[in-house]
Amino acid sequence: MSQLEKKAGLLRRTSSSKKPLKEKVVLMYDEIFAKEDPAKNNPRFWDELFLMKVNLEYLESKLESVDGEEVQRIQDNINSLFHHCVQALGEEHQIKVVNALQTLCALFRGVHQKNKSTSGFDIINMLMGFDKAEQRMKDLMERLDSLLCGDGSESLKSLCLKLLLCLVTVTDNISQNTILEYVMINSIFEAILQILSDVSSRGQHGYDAVVLLALLVNYRKYESVNPYIVKLSIVDDEPTLDGMGMVVHQALTEYNRQYKDKEEEHQGGFFSTLTSMVGSMFIADADEKLSVQTNEAILLALYEAVHLNRNFITVLAQSHPEMDIPTTPTTPTPTTPTTPLGTTPPSLDMMNNPELPLDPNLQTSNLLITFLKYASIVMQDTKDEHRLNSARLCLIILTCIAEDQYADAFLHDDNMNFRVNLHRMPMRHRKKAVDKNIPSRPLVCAVLDLMVEFIVTHMMKDFPMDLYLRCVQIIHKLLCYQKKCRIRLHYTWRELWSALINLLKFLLSNETTLLAKHNIFHLALLVVNLFNMFITYGDTFLPTSNSYDELYYEIVRMHQVFDNLYCMVLRVSTNTGQWKEAASKVTHALINVRAIVNHFNPKIESYAAVNHISQLSEEQVLEVVRSNYDTLTLKLQDGLDQFERYSEQPKEAAFFKELVRSISLNVRKNVSLNTLSQDILLKEFSTIS
Amino acid sequence: MEMDLAVDQVIDPEVALKACQEVLLQVQLQNREGPDQQQQQQVNNNNTDQTEGASPQWDAGSIREEEEEGEEEEEEEEEGEKRGAVREISQSSSAAAAAAAASKQSWLLRLFESKLFDVSMAIAYLYKSKEPGVQAYIGNRLFSFPDSEVDFYLPQLLNMYVHMDTEVGDAISPYLIYRCRGGIAFSLLTAWLLGAYSSDMHISTQRHSRGAKLRKLILSDELKPSSPPPASVSGGSPASSPCHRRRCHRRHNSSSVESSLSLCAAGTFPAEAEAEVFVSPSRRTHQRSKSDATTASGGPGAGLRRTGSNPKVEAVHEEPDRLRPQRELVKSLLGIGKRLATLPTKEQKTQRLISELSLLNHKLPARVWLPTAERQHHVCRVPHTQAVVLNSKDKAPYIIYVEVLECESFETSPVPVRIPETRIRSARSAENLDCGGVSAANANANGGVSGITSEHRAGSFSTVPNYDNDDEAWATDDIGQLQVEVETQTSSSDNISQFSVDSITSLESKEPVFIAAGDIRRRLSENLAHTPTSFRRDPEDPSAVALKEPWEEKVRRIREGSPYGHLPNWRLLSVIVKCGDDLRQELLAYQVLRQLQSIWQQERVPLWIKPYKILVMSSDSGMIEPVLNAVSLHQVRKQSQLSLLDYFLQEHGSFTTEEFLTAQRNFVQSCAGYSLICYLLQVKDRHNGNILLDSEGHIIHIDFGFILSSSPRNLGFETSAFKLTSEFVDVMGGLNGDMFIYYKMLMLQGLIAARKHMEKVLQIVEIMQQGSHLPCFHGSSTIRGLKERFHMSLTEEQLQLLVEQLVDGSMRSITTKLYDSFQYVTNGIM
Repeated sequence: MSQLEKKAGLLRRTSSSKKPLKEKVVLMYDEIFAKEDPAKNNPRFWDELFLMKVNLEYLESKLESVDGEEVQRIQDNINSLFHHCVQALGEEHQIKVVNALQTLCALFRGVHQKNKSTSGFDIINMLMGFDKAEQRMKDLMERLDSLLCGDGSESLKSLCLKLLLCLVTVTDNISQNTILEYVMINSIFEAILQILSDVSSRGQHGYDAVVLLALLVNYRKYESVNPYIVKLSIVDDEPTLDGMGMVVHQALTEYNRQYKDKEEEHQGGFFSTLTSMVGSMFIADADEKLSVQTNEAILLALYEAVHLNRNFITVLAQSHPEMDIPTTPTTPTPTTPTTPLGTTPPSLDMMNNPELPLDPNLQTSNLLITFLKYASIVMQDTKDEHRLNSARLCLIILTCIAEDQYADAFLHDDNMNFRVNLHRMPMRHRKKAVDKNIPSRPLVCAVLDLMVEFIVTHMMKDFPMDLYLRCVQIIHKLLCYQKKCRIRLHYTWRELWSALINLLKFLLSNETTLLAKHNIFHLALLVVNLFNMFITYGDTFLPTSNSYDELYYEIVRMHQVFDNLYCMVLRVSTNTGQWKEAASKVTHALINVRAIVNHFNPKIESYAAVNHISQLSEEQVLEVVRSNYDTLTLKLQDGLDQFERYSEQPKEAAFFKELVRSISLNVRKNVSLNTLSQDILLKEFSTIS
Repeated sequence: MEMDLAVDQVIDPEVALKACQEVLLQVQLQNREGPDQQQQQQVNNNNTDQTEGASPQWDAGSIREEEEEGEEEEEEEEEGEKRGAVREISQSSSAAAAAAAASKQSWLLRLFESKLFDVSMAIAYLYKSKEPGVQAYIGNRLFSFPDSEVDFYLPQLLNMYVHMDTEVGDAISPYLIYRCRGGIAFSLLTAWLLGAYSSDMHISTQRHSRGAKLRKLILSDELKPSSPPPASVSGGSPASSPCHRRRCHRRHNSSSVESSLSLCAAGTFPAEAEAEVFVSPSRRTHQRSKSDATTASGGPGAGLRRTGSNPKVEAVHEEPDRLRPQRELVKSLLGIGKRLATLPTKEQKTQRLISELSLLNHKLPARVWLPTAERQHHVCRVPHTQAVVLNSKDKAPYIIYVEVLECESFETSPVPVRIPETRIRSARSAENLDCGGVSAANANANGGVSGITSEHRAGSFSTVPNYDNDDEAWATDDIGQLQVEVETQTSSSDNISQFSVDSITSLESKEPVFIAAGDIRRRLSENLAHTPTSFRRDPEDPSAVALKEPWEEKVRRIREGSPYGHLPNWRLLSVIVKCGDDLRQELLAYQVLRQLQSIWQQERVPLWIKPYKILVMSSDSGMIEPVLNAVSLHQVRKQSQLSLLDYFLQEHGSFTTEEFLTAQRNFVQSCAGYSLICYLLQVKDRHNGNILLDSEGHIIHIDFGFILSSSPRNLGFETSAFKLTSEFVDVMGGLNGDMFIYYKMLMLQGLIAARKHMEKVLQIVEIMQQGSHLPCFHGSSTIRGLKERFHMSLTEEQLQLLVEQLVDGSMRSITTKLYDSFQYVTNGIM
């Protein structure tokens, strides 16, 4: 066809002289947006176009300005542009490839910008034409795939990933992006895996690759069979999974580091001179805003990996001494445009040297530890919506981990002891724990600490009920594992018990305000059942005989809370109302706790009376407890060690939809911000070619 | 020079052919003469032995040809001796030999040909005889001994090879080369020992020494088992018919007949190579099958392969070097040890160790094995979290546990297929077994190519389905089946606590079930009491807990947690990796202990000692076989805070119980054994950290760093003959107890028995002294001193007196006590 046109086009081009001030490329764009076939007059038009430096702004604005009717007229030319872009990707001349990639970027973006409301099919038609769309996209994906997997320039690979990210995030709702259907059919999954499995490419593109994967997995997740989900779930190649873990690890580590720096800075400012204090207060304020920014994209990637791929669980515990990593050949200049997307771009040197190999002060860390630290930071403040989402996602990930048997095995592994410095919120009534004193313990202790910490610190008016439920459920799942595998964890259970009792107390005292928004009985039931676990199955997982006595001591000591709770639930359950049933469940669950309270309280009182002691010491109470077990009968309750397994659908679907939307927006913003400005690229290629 | 002999080209094919024919002729002759004398030989091996025997003989012969201007007579005589060696006696040839050789030699020959002539004697004559003829004869004679017997003397052989004159070296060389061709394990062992024993030579001569050259030759992997069939054979994993293949090997190994024989064997090779191509890249085929099973377009398997994210597959397949995997393993293990030494605290060391080992896991299973093990196997996994750093002041020895899969031959059996870590839960999950039917078709399709050898396939059948079942798993909730899984586990636990474990949801009855709080509390204390006394976790002594755990318990635990645990040929091994320590003395001690052990066994003296295997890898690194179920007396004391006797009572029950009495007897027998060892070898540095106590009550001495002529810092401590503290005597039931008398009696019997076979012990030490700079050989009187301690001249009554004196002296020895407190002050060892 084009050959025919070439023969027909005998007229010489004259338009260039008309607007002498315009760049040549702009003029060429104008030609495309004219009715005529631009190659008609100049057979080498497309060749020339891709030698020009792309003017993204102009092209995009031009596309946006085209209105409905015009579209019809220029559709052929746009189709042709798209077609030639795809073809140019196969060129040897790298400048052409770069320009083609960027032009494609502009095309996708421009077309979507304009036609936010139009259906995906119209957009496909406009870009590629219905009849050829399948072939075009197939070609495009194959080209991108070979560029990503080839030995070509790293910046080129980075640009490919940018294009893909750009394509994936052009719509707010990823599932409405119909073009992605072709990305599903022509998978680039393998290319992403390859990037992750190779140490050097992982360092440079790992972040983008992981984010891209996380987004692709979320395309029409609940409606259709997404091949990326299928494939991600069966990857079992360790280097690749490890690579994915490393990217997440480094991103989270970087966040933790930044936070710590900020924290130290903040403190330093406080104790220095007055002037600097005043000054730093403002700065700190500004910084606080920044530190709020969490990295949900990377967290989503972690979630998908943990949730979908059972082999990934091993990566969580994979420590990273990273001795033998050859220092990646970093060419500093071309990596600048590859600044990773997302909200907190990890610095590049961090990506390359995660840990100094032989620093004795550095603890070997693993992804799980880093994640726990990250979660401890994120959970500190859940007022902001982003942070709330992050905290929720963290808890969901922990839920998945707590349900996984292999993960539980290494969480409880007595030989894998670590010191995990969780971040604790500075609070008025407690001192900041001295970091150095944390003993080295199995990792599950850190998880429990984190849960206790959360329970203690979030009893507020704006009650994060959802997070509390997840938190208590995680503890429950861990206890179930310990019970079943008879693991006697040496943990200070007392802290957990008192945290839980305090939570009940809080629920009681804020009954009216909370009931307006939440079903507090459900949470109360879960908490009471945790106590029931300890009471009925304590023999299978408590570390010492004394710990069982202590449990009773704690319950008896705080009997007021349980009494009040019982009164409250009894009252609600006898009234008719929406909470009737929920409350009556709690009354049943309280049977054993009440039996204990009613059994031991008189005994303790009489002991005090007999011995003429007004205030019994702890040891004395424990003695009473110990000598009076035999007359106490408990009721065995059903299903204490059963739990509902986590499932994303349907419960969490809405949350993830929103999360993906916000991540998409964020990623899109970042892709356009560090526009694929290509000066450096061009410099690189001009020296190459 | 002699190195060149090893290379095939030197051997004239014509000459080889002639030799071969001669041997065949002899065989015929001999068959006619009467096969009755072959009873001792394995009949079916006879032919191959003949040819094997002949080949190196030729090597030796050809040297002499050069040296002695082709004395054909001599050569024939040699040949005769050779044949005699193989067939015990052949009248005609021995007559010829007698005629040709000097009369003394003929006398010797009779000895050599007698049934009594064993490896020990062979080594002794090799060492002592200055006659090249005798040396060459013994060199040949080595071929007729079982490999395992010669292996025991390998350190001696190699030390002679390195440090003695050329004649001895020449005599041994053919045998060494033959054995190196025969197996990777022997090759590596030889290379390591050669390196270690050469290290005492002066640096300038070392590089050009015989030992260094042979080592280089071995490590260059030129000593392949046979004339090269397609190159892939050596690296790949032939599987089709190992036995048949082995036979081929053997025939090919005989270098001189190689050319002629390879002709007849040639027919078998193409077929074999083909089978190999089909079977060996197990992972690859496996992946392909997997991608086939996936309905998704594109096929992830294909994608993965293309991406090359699986470099190991490629490496294994194309790597021609047979020795490489094992050398890499050793290198990385030693590297870990070196890096650990730089970390300050035990806690950091242990963490680092665990993380480094977890990386090592990625490369397993591979064609690697633990050289300390008895049986042939492939290492399939290192349960990294079980590894611990051992107590050492400035170095970082560590113990690792290694999961292996036993196999027929680690050189030829296919390497097991990797099973991902997380596969374990599906292997145990009942739910998955149920849905196994769904994927049975998959499994069948897969089973054929999965690369697991047929005898495993039955065992692995239940898991293989799951392996490919992932695509279904994602559709349901993919995360494990905790609920179902654990029920199977609890069924094995004891009855007392069964009640509390069982979930009552299964009971449909709505009647409330009541339990007494007292029962729960009681069960808790009972459960806690029932768990075998374990040691507290101590960050400063991480190994105490790991070593205290009963071995069976550990095996069970690790097996449960391993993705390979379900395979019937799964075994757990352990090894201590030492870096920065010279284990040559340890090896020497091991040999002496083994020798004494077999002497006592032979003489039926119930002395108990536990020689633990030593693997010398260089002059400053190696591996040690850990003593199972044993903790050091130091750890016992520190953890239990009890006296030794009270600890015995705690562990084994009160004085009158069967268990205690058995443990006490074990203690006495082992004490007697080690007392003698300590006396004979002058083992020093006997603090409580170096004496282990096993779960049966035996004591085991470890760390033979100071023996014979060396003692720590030469402070003159520990002048007593051996360590016998009052605590030991208490366990034996006091000074006047029967057991104490038994102890002394055992020592006397042991000494008498040892004295009878003194030469066998002496010889081990003597040969190793050659060229050695080890501290235990310091001074000139080492051997004389050792000899004197056997007291050949004393009567038995005098010996008894001597034992009394030794025991008395040790008991009263103030220095033992002093040394213990010295150790406590300096090293914190109680």
